[in-house]
Amino acid sequence: MEIDTIKERVGEVLASILEHNNFEIHDELTAKDVDGWDSLSHMMIITKIEEEFGIRFKLRELNKLKNMGSLVSLIQTKA
Amino acid sequence: MNLIVDIQQSIEKHHDHNAFYIGQEYYTYKEFGQVVSDIRKAIQVSSKKEEITFGLITNDDIQTYASIIALWMEGRAYVPLNPEFPESRNQMVIQQADIITILDSSKEQVFEEHHTILTKNLENSEIDLTPVTVSEEGLVYIFFTSGTTGTPKGVPINFGNLSGFMDAFWALDYPITSDDRCLQMFELTFDLSVVSYLAPMLKGACIYTIPKDEIKYSYIFELMEDHKLTFSLMVPSILHYLRPYFDEIDCPAMKYSMFCGEALPLDVTEEWSKCLPNATIANVYGPTECTIYCTDYTYNREGENKTHNGVLTIGKDMKNTTTIIVDEDNNEVAIGESGELCLSGAQLTTGYWKNKEKNKAVFFHKEYQGKNTRFYRTGDLCSRDEEGDILYLGRVDFQAKIQGFRVELSEIEFHAKAALDKINVVAIAFTNSIHNTEIGVVIESEDFNTQELVDYMKTKLPAYMIPTQMKFIQSFPLNTNGKIDRNKLTAMFS
Repeated sequence: MEIDTIKERVGEVLASILEHNNFEIHDELTAKDVDGWDSLSHMMIITKIEEEFGIRFKLRELNKLKNMGSLVSLIQTKA
Repeated sequence: MNLIVDIQQSIEKHHDHNAFYIGQEYYTYKEFGQVVSDIRKAIQVSSKKEEITFGLITNDDIQTYASIIALWMEGRAYVPLNPEFPESRNQMVIQQADIITILDSSKEQVFEEHHTILTKNLENSEIDLTPVTVSEEGLVYIFFTSGTTGTPKGVPINFGNLSGFMDAFWALDYPITSDDRCLQMFELTFDLSVVSYLAPMLKGACIYTIPKDEIKYSYIFELMEDHKLTFSLMVPSILHYLRPYFDEIDCPAMKYSMFCGEALPLDVTEEWSKCLPNATIANVYGPTECTIYCTDYTYNREGENKTHNGVLTIGKDMKNTTTIIVDEDNNEVAIGESGELCLSGAQLTTGYWKNKEKNKAVFFHKEYQGKNTRFYRTGDLCSRDEEGDILYLGRVDFQAKIQGFRVELSEIEFHAKAALDKINVVAIAFTNSIHNTEIGVVIESEDFNTQELVDYMKTKLPAYMIPTQMKFIQSFPLNTNGKIDRNKLTAMFS
């Protein structure tokens, strides 16, 4: 899948869970930069991304997600 | 006080062992002892002798843990202040607990208007780990818990209480040695943190903490696997988060896996036991008022386990605690009957901090085995079986009265969970617009048609126990102690 398509769809997931779109998707974006992206919403975001792309993350992979760039490339290896 | 001398001796004896693993970095007991000594010196120089309670900013670093031990060696107490809590709440705690000086390891001082010792860049001083003389009555900490009236209640714990707990902990025979690697997953505002750092420290074991910016459950898993943790105490909520990934978890190094703070369901425990093939799993129970925990049950891998509504028993009193179960007039109930669990013994707090009214309401004296004994009402509804094991039935105030019937919310949760494969459910009693009590259920899932669930519950429960409203939430909100926040869930129905 195209990186840009993945980014766009991840952006939609974020907006639907966090109920705002005051963020810009770029590789260095981290949870800290986005309002409401805390440990609780993180779990919901991860679950929603799994559904959206029909993939499943491993627990270990979740720890490697340091920023948007690593999330997008992980999705790309699976989707 | 022996406890503090024991800490001193352990630090000295285990100089070259690792004491902490914090944010990818190890610290030896020697390094730890140095930081303790530096902070101790700073306390001596920049605070007054009569100051007993010190604020402690709860960061995740070596200075914060060293501050606790430095205070104890000086015969002082700490009051944890979480910088992420609302400013007004922290100010209320500072004022209530008579705090003059705050120990803060942050780069920038958190409370500008309060006298603060910044512990991060202190000069090296001579190592001094010999404690001053302190009595059993000397305070070790005050933890503030939420009060129903909006003002936090302070629970003061003294050296006698904490020594009583440690003595009872070792008597459980879940031993720790200097080779162990132990999890410390708790915010320092939660008293389960105390045993998580203190027990390993007394044996020269290594303490593994969770950086504040990590996702707790997946970081715990990584520590367990990469660092082969051998000892852990967790809240059961962590298991609910990890459950979808249980098939990825295999940690044969884990020797003891303990749970506290919430009901521990048997089915999740059974699945968890397969992830930790060599671990003894235990369920412990206790309120902050009775110092960390005070009853214990060892999960039986091979045979039957005692449960109520699918929740494991909390077991029997530990060594220094006496438990009784009483009715509304403080008379002990018969075996098998339910009543309010009351606690007594060496671990019991002397009473809430400057709160006479609350103390009158929850502490009482009763003639017990020929002695006039002080008991604490836990607010927990329990019963005891013939072998003396205590079954946790729910909160006394989770016991709703619906159309005059007494309803245990945990029973509704149990049947809803039985119908829904591996989905977590919380039952809530709420007051509707005409001031009647109704039962609502919150389901941790995407929306689905609940007709089948309702039909199933109708085959198991009387009509007045069938929830009138069901709501869905993707993930249960947790409070700062990592427990499911029932207040927030209740608010969904009002």
